[in-house]
Order: sequence, then structure tokens, then C-alpha cells
Amino acid sequence: MRKDRRLHWLLLAPALILMAVMLYYPMFGTVYESFHETSFLSPDPKFAGLALYRRILADRTFTEVVTNSIVWTFGVVLLQNILGFLTALLLNQNLPMQGALRAIVLLPFILPGVVAAILWRFMYDPQLGLVNSLLLQTGLIENSVAWLADSRMAMASVIIAAVWKGFPFSMLIYLAALQNVDQSQIEAATLDGAGPARRLLDVTLPAIRDVIVVNVVLTLILTFNYFDIIWVLTRGGPQSATHIFPTKIYESGFGQFRFGEAATYGVFSILVLTVLVALYAIVQGQANRRRAAA
Amino acid sequence: MKRSLLTAVTMGAMLLGTSSVLAQQVTLQFWDNQQTESGLSDVQKAAVERFMKENPDIKIEVTTVPYPEYQQRLLTAVQGGNAPDIATLDQIWVGAFAKAGAVADLTEQAGAAGLARDNFFGGAWDSAVLGGKLYGIPFNVDVWQFSYYNKALLDAAKIDPASLSTFDGLKAAAEKLTTSGKFGVGLFGHKGEDTVVVGDSFIFSNGGKILNDDGSCGLTEAPAVEALTYLQQLSKFAPGGILNASSGDMRELFLNGSLAIEFWPALEQPTLQKSKLDWGFVNGTAPEGKTPVGTFGGWNLAIFESSPNKDAAWKFIQFMVREDVNGDVVDLIPANKKAATAFLEKNRKDPKVIMAHLENAKARPLSPRYLELADAQIAMFQEIYAGGDPAATAAKACDAINALD
Amino acid sequence: MKQKRSTRVVLTLMQVLLAIIVLLPFFWMVSVSLKPPTEPFAIPARLWPDHPTVENYVSAFRPEFRTYFLNSLVVSLATVAITVTLGLLAAYSFTRAQIVAISALVGLVVLAQMFPHSAIIIPIYKMMRSADLLNTYWSLILAYVSVTLPVAIWMLRGFLLKLPAALEESAAIDGATPLRVFWDIVVPLSRPGLIATSVYVLIVTWQEFLFALSFTSTKEMRTLPVGLNDFIGQYGIRYGELMASSVMVSLPVMAVFFFLQRYFVAGITAGAVKG
Repeated sequence: MRKDRRLHWLLLAPALILMAVMLYYPMFGTVYESFHETSFLSPDPKFAGLALYRRILADRTFTEVVTNSIVWTFGVVLLQNILGFLTALLLNQNLPMQGALRAIVLLPFILPGVVAAILWRFMYDPQLGLVNSLLLQTGLIENSVAWLADSRMAMASVIIAAVWKGFPFSMLIYLAALQNVDQSQIEAATLDGAGPARRLLDVTLPAIRDVIVVNVVLTLILTFNYFDIIWVLTRGGPQSATHIFPTKIYESGFGQFRFGEAATYGVFSILVLTVLVALYAIVQGQANRRRAAA
Repeated sequence: MKRSLLTAVTMGAMLLGTSSVLAQQVTLQFWDNQQTESGLSDVQKAAVERFMKENPDIKIEVTTVPYPEYQQRLLTAVQGGNAPDIATLDQIWVGAFAKAGAVADLTEQAGAAGLARDNFFGGAWDSAVLGGKLYGIPFNVDVWQFSYYNKALLDAAKIDPASLSTFDGLKAAAEKLTTSGKFGVGLFGHKGEDTVVVGDSFIFSNGGKILNDDGSCGLTEAPAVEALTYLQQLSKFAPGGILNASSGDMRELFLNGSLAIEFWPALEQPTLQKSKLDWGFVNGTAPEGKTPVGTFGGWNLAIFESSPNKDAAWKFIQFMVREDVNGDVVDLIPANKKAATAFLEKNRKDPKVIMAHLENAKARPLSPRYLELADAQIAMFQEIYAGGDPAATAAKACDAINALD
Repeated sequence: MKQKRSTRVVLTLMQVLLAIIVLLPFFWMVSVSLKPPTEPFAIPARLWPDHPTVENYVSAFRPEFRTYFLNSLVVSLATVAITVTLGLLAAYSFTRAQIVAISALVGLVVLAQMFPHSAIIIPIYKMMRSADLLNTYWSLILAYVSVTLPVAIWMLRGFLLKLPAALEESAAIDGATPLRVFWDIVVPLSRPGLIATSVYVLIVTWQEFLFALSFTSTKEMRTLPVGLNDFIGQYGIRYGELMASSVMVSLPVMAVFFFLQRYFVAGITAGAVKG
């Protein structure tokens, strides 16, 4: 048994050491910086206690960044998973051309993120973009809409672009899970007279429950920390309408040379994300218990 | 014994030999950003070759970084202790890099080499000065903004191009030119420095200041607020979506003939020359009877404090701003005035007009915390274009700017 | 399973709709890539240029591209291989070892995947510099392995927890060492998990931008996402060439996926994503 334990430590060691050196050590540096006044201009850190935290909490931008981060993450995760799941269902039928379609659907995510973002910025251009052009020609809108320049619409617009880019990833994982669902159970349900909707709810969904959890948590973390799309589309603007944690951290640190502030935002970012993941785990746990009780 | 001594001597000689070769060849890292689509990098390569031929003991390695990431790339390198020997720095970064101790004080070398403010455009030279010390040599300059106009559209509306250079004239023209499917004037207000330089030029032209002489924020003074009010009125005649539009977006509209007036530096000329448009330009806009004052933009060459080869680096900088070289290695306008005259004659329409605008232009505030100051200004311009009250918005920006120090 | 004719028609229509949603932006990208540089953008936007030309492709097809592509490929594949190997080893121990500290360690792994990259990049840069790894493949591979490892461990742990314990137990009773059990039983059974994790790691590294930009300086070391940015200057974007090069980059990858998707889906299907 002891020998086993030594073996397990040995197997764990490379991963743990790497993570300690490459992630925890820099992160501790960030936490350290958040308690100090540092910037590019005054490289010698001066201890400041919680001053930076207090200053950021008192700033209106902070509230906006938190709200935006939640709206953005929630919107993208929800839409991306629903669309990914529906697409997976569709591509799991025996229809003609499915092989080609499965490859085509992957296109958005092969495209490097920065390029996809530039493409979408151009798509959304009020005058030259394809979005307005199609909507105007089909009569769905009467005047050009400034999708990214209007603070009421900017967030929805960046979410749509991100979902387009991201849903194939969720689709792939759902598709794999669907192909694993026990066909005999579905046939049994069919024989019992269950329609497609019933079969989906009673057989398929429960069977892939764990995959849904994996997918949601993965997309949640990826989306929360996703930088490219928003940075290229709006830089967090107009004003702070689409500023989320990663764009704010980048702007403070690299854009304004305020390292201490960037570090503090970094610490807050981890806190907020942890709360989001924890909330999801609690909701999921309750749902599981309810299902077990039923 | 003898033999081993001999070996030792031979080896020692060999070592000395190699080390003296090493001492002869100095390799300098030079970083620049990529600004335009012109084939500048080829020309620059040729200039670098020429320098290395003139100075066989110095080798230059050029790294070109795309503009949007240049600032981050430099900052990471400096923080990581891996700065290049020489880099081009945006005028507005020099203060911060100097204050941080990242770039070397060049005051003495410049004095000894006879490089002085008179050789360069004043505003560009000043942008490299902090606390009376010189931290960079102006490399290239340009001025925001020139008002480029589409001749056909102006003719159709019977507008005299000369009228665009006054506040009232520009507004009247923009209003008249805004018809179905056409836009009067290409204002933009995205989160970018082009938003600031254009806004500043309207404030400067109206006699306003960003910072007062004592360093406090001047945006709440009447001339500045008037300029902001004017910009707000003008924005009615701009294409929709100002808050996420950049100068690049406006260029595309101008090129396809749907925008009558666009704001760009002189750098826009080659693009327009290649197009099929019939175009002209005037030097910015000012109230009746006043001369338009533009905002300087451009890049300075700086030597990093961490460089072990500052002397060689200084040689390279002197070479790059030399009268016979400077014009070949920039695509804005050479910062060396003599080179600029020749460059403009050769490459630009109406060189004298451009020269006058350059002579009048003002630099943006010199502050190590300029980037934060500009951020407060961007927030202000965005709020103005979104319809906010100019005086209140300026007051808010001043609060943020005055809190900086 | 048989479907009614009407159902099939509806489903096929939905497929077409899906293809349009996905392809429309891409189609437009192709259209922009075929627009002559001298032809201005039209209002309203046209789906197809008046005078399509391959000019942009000719000027965008530069020898550097092959280098960028190759660099991306090397870095991504190496990262996938290393991350998945280290991840599986760690996940195996996490799920099988009787170590008291395990749940705390798992918590630390989960926490690590939440670190924002822009907050930790400068310290990592400093380490790369002291190790003299800047501007090498290793700087990128090490960084990518580190940032993808937490998620990989977490994903693989999920898969391993679901493997039936009976097989491993009986092998252990038969006298197989833990390493044998790992190699002969755990590795083959976790193939689907390994494939899913590989896809995740591949996707993240293939498009990573921030580290790639910061750690590489010469053209010889640039990866695709950074290389494509060559078309973006301070004064405007060369849309035509950018889009042309993006098309050129996407097509081979899409072709690979087209031919591999059968195996890929089969691989994931092999058994373990079961609920």
C-alpha cells in the first residue's frame, strides 16, 4: 500500500510541480501585488493593505464589470449549450450529407479567435456590414442599426458572435455523448408509445446528464476568461458596456500601466468565477437530489 | 610540461582571438511597429543594410510587431528585463517609459552631436522631453487632422471646399451633404487614440487646452466646452455608430463614395492617390478668422536603459534621423525638418499647406500618466457623442484627470 | 430507427438552416477575400464581389505562412501530447490513490483553471527569460501545458471516476502491478476521455494569442494567430488579404476534420461518456 502511495505521488508530481511553478507562483505574485501600490511608473511596491480593494469596490466601473461578466457568461453558456445540444441532436440523425455537415459546423472554431473577431466586427459594421444589409433587404429593420456602438445592444451582439464561435465545441461533446446513449432504451420507450419529446426528456437527457455538467462548467470557465472577441469587437465599450474581467485586467495593466489595479481585478475575477461555479454546483446538486428523491 | 604550456598559450590565444571578434561585432535589437500597408519594411531593410555596411562592427536585428499589440509587447519585455536596445515609442508613451527608468537620458549625446529642437518639429521634440531631460529623438510625425473631401459630392451640393476650414462652414456643409445614403462628416469615437487626437484638434483650434500651464485639467474652460458642444452638433451628420467607429472605418466609407468629408493625417494621401476618387483637403477646422491647430502624432526613437550597447545604439539613431536617411525609413513624415521638406515635395500633394499645418500643430499633454488621461478623455468624447451635457461631461473628465497626481 | 418522410424533410430543412447560420459569415469572408483591393466596399454589403479575383490570395500567400502554420502545428501537437499524458497520470492518481490530501489537491487544480491569463503573464515571462526559453517552442509549450493542464486533469478525472472498478480490482488480484493495471486497463478504457480532452487542449492552443505574442519575437517562431495579425496596422486593416489568408488556413484543417471526424466520433463513442 505504501509503495502504491509513493507511485501515486510520483505520477502526480510532474503535473503538480508544473502547476505550482507556472500558475500558483505567478498567481501569488498577483495577490501580493494587489496589496501593494505598484505600477510601471513606480516599480518598487509599497504596502497598501486593502486600499486597492477599497478603491475598486467604490468605483462604479467595478459594478459594471461584475454585472457584465455575469450577463456575458450566462448568455454565452446558455445559448452555446442549447445550440450545441440541438445541433448535436440534428447531426445524430441518419440524414444525407451528415459527414460534410459535421465538418462544416466545426468551421467557426477552427478560425483563430482574433480573425473570427475581426470578421464579426466587419459583419456588424452599421454601413458596410452584412448583418444590416441582410436585415434591411429582407425588411426586418428599416434603418441601419449600430450593433456595437449602442450600449443597449452591444452586449447581445458580442454574445451572438461568441456563440457562433463557440457552439461547435459544445456540439462535439454532446454529439459524442448522444452516440453513447443506449439505443435499446430508446426503442423500449418507443414501444411504450413515447413520442420524440418524451424520449428526449425521459431517456436521452438523463443519460447524458454528466456530459451536460462537464460542458456547462467548461464553457463557463472558458467564457468567463475569454478575451479575444470582446477586445477586438468593442474594447469593452461603448464606455464600459461590454467590459468584462479579462478586458478590464488587460486595459488596466497593459493599456494604462496600472499593475496593482490589474492584479486586484485579477483577484476579484477569481473570486467571482469561483462563486459562479459554486452556485452552479449547488443548483446541480439540488437537481440531482430532487431527481433521486422522485 | 613544455607542451602543456604551449597548448595553454595556444588556447589562450585562440580564446583571445574569438573574444576580440565578439567584441567587434555588436548585435542590436531594434523594435518597430507596423503602421501601414505600404511596403515600408522593405525600404527599412535597405536602410538597415546600409547602416551595417557603414558600421561593419554593428549588426541590427529588426523585430516588427503589429501596432495593436506593440504596447503590450514592449511593456512585457521591459517588465521581464528583456527590452530591446532601441525601439520606436509612440510620443505619448515616452513620459511613462522615462519615469519608469526604462529608457536612457539622451540629453548629453544629443547636445554633443548637435541634434537640437530646431532640426525637428517642435511638438515632436517636446514629446520626448520630461523634466528638462531628453529621452528620445523624434523619428516621424504627422498631424491630425486634415479634412479630406470628395470633390464630386461637394460640387453637387455647391459647396466651396475653403468653407470647410471654419467651424460654421464645416457644420453647414456637413448638414447639406447628409442626404439619403450619403454622410456629411466622418466623426468617430471608439476607444482609441484617434478619437482623442481629432477631439483635441477641435479644442486646440478653439483656443482651448487639455491641461493648463499649472498642470490642472483645462477641459472645463469655456473654449474647450464650446468645442465639445460643437462636436456634439457635428456628430448628427456622421454615419451611425460613432461610439464604435474608428478612422479606419471612416476611410472605407470615404473610399466607396458615401462619405463626403473624412478626418485623417497626411498619411492618407497615398491611399487616396491610389483610389479613383477626385479628392482635395483643407487643414483642419477653426472658428472664423482663426488658424486651425492640429494635434501632433508620431514616434520617437529611444534607447533602453538596460542596453549594454548604448553607444552603438546611439549611432544607429543618429543614422535613422539623418537628413538623407530619415525620409526613406518612415511612412508618416520624417521628423527631421529638412528631410520632411524633401519628403513632402516628393510624396504629398500641396506640401506647403501640409508644412504650415505641421508648424502650427500642438503636442498632446506631456505626462507620464498620459494613457490614463487619454482614457478619461475617451470616456468624455463617448459621452458627448452619446448626447451628454458638454459642461457636465467635461467636469467629470476633469475630476478623473485631476485625481491622477 | 425509421423516420417518417415528413420528419425527414423537416430535419433536412433544419440542417440547411444550420449550414446557413454557420456558413454565412464564412461565405462572406471568402467573398471579401475575392474582392479586388481597388474595389471599394459597397453599401449595402454585397454577398459576392462584382469582379472576383485571386489577387489577395497571391499577395497573402507568403512563405512565412508555411512557417506560422508549422509552428502552430508543432506547438499544438506537443502541448496536446504532454498535457494529456501528464493529465492522465495525475487524474489516475487523483481517483485511485488513498492519499489524505487528495481532495485538497483536487480543489487546488480546479481553482487553478480560473486564473486569468493576463494577470499572470508577466511573471511567467520573467521565468521564461531566466530559463532562457524566450522565442523557443518550449516557452509556448510549457505555458500552454500549464494553462490547459488543470482542465485536462479535471475532465479526465471525470472519465476515470466512471470506469468500472471491477476490471482493475480483478487484475490487481491476479497480481498485476498498479503500473500494469494503468497501462493495460485504464489507458485503453479512457480513450474516449483522452480524445475529448485532446480536442479541448487543441482548440485552446491552436488559437492562443497572448502568450504567443509575448514569448516569440522573430518571424521564424510566430504561430498563426499572431502571424495573421501582420495585416493589421495602426492605420487600417487589409481585410482582403487577412480574409484570404484565413481561408487558406482554415481549409486544410477543415479537410482534416472532414476525414477524421468518423474516427473522432467513433473514438469518443467507444464507451465512457455514459451517464
